[in-house]
Amino acid sequence: MGKACELAQDEMHRENLKVKELRDRLEKRIFAELDEVHLNGHPTERLSNNLNVSFAFVEGESLMMGIKNIAVSSGSACTTASLEPSYVLRALGVTEDLAHTSIRFGLGRFNTVEEVDYTADQVINTVKRLREMSPLYEMAKEGIDIKTVNWANQH
Amino acid sequence: MSYSPKVIDHYDNPRNIGSLDKADPAVGTGIVGAPECGDVMKLQIKINNLTQVIEDAKFKTFGCGSAIASSSLATEWLKGKTVEEAMKIKNTDIVQELSLPPIKIHCSVLAEDAIRSAIADYQNKQERK
Repeated sequence: MGKACELAQDEMHRENLKVKELRDRLEKRIFAELDEVHLNGHPTERLSNNLNVSFAFVEGESLMMGIKNIAVSSGSACTTASLEPSYVLRALGVTEDLAHTSIRFGLGRFNTVEEVDYTADQVINTVKRLREMSPLYEMAKEGIDIKTVNWANQH
Repeated sequence: MSYSPKVIDHYDNPRNIGSLDKADPAVGTGIVGAPECGDVMKLQIKINNLTQVIEDAKFKTFGCGSAIASSSLATEWLKGKTVEEAMKIKNTDIVQELSLPPIKIHCSVLAEDAIRSAIADYQNKQERK
């Protein structure tokens, strides 16, 4: 136990900075190359390995299906495998329509720059592809505010 | 959750993505679902007024892989059918074809609703003429 504490004290700060650098690299690419993306959570005061983003007009599960080989989550950790959007995001004030478009990326100390770049490429390409088939993106481009539409047929 | 090979195929190679002119009297448009629920399908059909045959079908879907696959499959089935035949497509046919698990049955229901809504829109347009 003493040894574990010693190792943690020795490595924690350095590893934390490294993971944060990777996380920031992923975040920067996504925000530079896609429009209508929203960061969930505090801009700076959050876990250094965490990146939670809403990709407007793209449903989270369909995005996960497109980024094969990458493990991410479309809900909070506690709502995985349910269809409900993350109640953590709802509690943070994220609207329900945007909560359905969120992806949580969790980075670890063994991730590499190459993996982060691969992830950014996959995410950006898949979001673009899915927006081309999103009726909501089409409406937004036509200037229709989807919040003002009367969605009659609710499920 | 694991997807059936047919769902993955429709997701990777969706059939008939796109839009038809919603102002065209020969085009019926159905938009069902809601962004808050995580699924919105837009399905459009172009109908030959004389033969009542669906000559073209297009879709755009915001939703999970099963929702995309259900609407993609629906457009595939609709092309070449008459309106009367199209009305006979049931959500259970889609469930069976795509091997949808119980948690995804609502995707097939939405696709059936979208078909009916598109046909109703076309028929309303014809009555108004």
